[in-house]
Amino acid sequence: MELRVTERTDEELSIEIAGEDHTFMNVLKGSLLEHEHINAATYDINPEQSGGQTDPILTLKTDGSIEPIDALEEAAGDIRTKAADFKSAFEAAA
Amino acid sequence: MASDYDVEFVERTEREARILVRGITPAFANGIRRAMVADVPTLAIDTVRFIENSSVMFDEQLGLRLGLVPLTTPTPEEFGDDDVVTLSIDVEGPATAYSGDLVSSEPDLVKPADENVPIIQLKDDQRLEAEAEAVYDHGKNHAKHQGGVAVGYRHLQRVTVDGDLPEFEEEESQIVRGVIEDDGELIPTSEFGHDLTERYPGKDVTVEDVPNAFVFHVETDGSFAVEELVTRAVDSIDDRAAELEDAVQL
Repeated sequence: MELRVTERTDEELSIEIAGEDHTFMNVLKGSLLEHEHINAATYDINPEQSGGQTDPILTLKTDGSIEPIDALEEAAGDIRTKAADFKSAFEAAA
Repeated sequence: MASDYDVEFVERTEREARILVRGITPAFANGIRRAMVADVPTLAIDTVRFIENSSVMFDEQLGLRLGLVPLTTPTPEEFGDDDVVTLSIDVEGPATAYSGDLVSSEPDLVKPADENVPIIQLKDDQRLEAEAEAVYDHGKNHAKHQGGVAVGYRHLQRVTVDGDLPEFEEEESQIVRGVIEDDGELIPTSEFGHDLTERYPGKDVTVEDVPNAFVFHVETDGSFAVEELVTRAVDSIDDRAAELEDAVQL
């Protein structure tokens, strides 16, 4: 997973996440929007045959109390917690 | 952020199941569904060396047919991601070559999931002899590597009885598909022909989606059991989250 920051301020971050598609990006976006210090999060993917930029670009805005990159890290951590919780709940039922 | 999941099997066989998950967000549910379809690697034949093919089909056509045969796929721990399995086939006409005629080099780990997939019908004096190599890949790259077939989800639907229908009103069938919840009881709609008037004759009912409760329908092609597919899909999402966490720290 290669990351490339395209825009960065104290409250805003645009970052390209190479090699990912809707499967992970939408989970990540959902997780970011649940974060209490994030005001906005979205991602954009261009179709494969459009030429040029086809890797997803994630954009997020915080309320200023947290560095956007740290918020991203926390969101990734939240996904891991969710995955672990889901797995244990699933294995308990299986 | 405590996520409190509640998982329950509604229907269950080796290859097909309906699984109710409560407390899951639509984004995460869709992530798991997509991962099951496109991101869980399975083994499939990718290269074929034909030793003799006097059948009526071209080598390429048989290559495609062999590729589409589902193979049992062990976990990557038991079997390296880059490992290759060789399967050979040798059938002489008059006979039909079936997937069960494929002889695996690792018969305990990798073999055709079904024995009865026809590959080609051979007439007198026709013969098929070939060696094939199976590799791991993702459903994203070719449908033959899709472990999950017909994977989807629906909201759990709650049915409440409001009262009786007016005496002379003509009853219209009310079709629902999936799983309904009636007073905490889970009922697959197939039990009453997907028609609520079969189950609640003469009653006035309301149907509503239960928020954040999804019923997954999972069916595998035989590469692995349903439980295995779901666990591997969740693992693949977890792996990517871990990768992102690491990449951000740098």
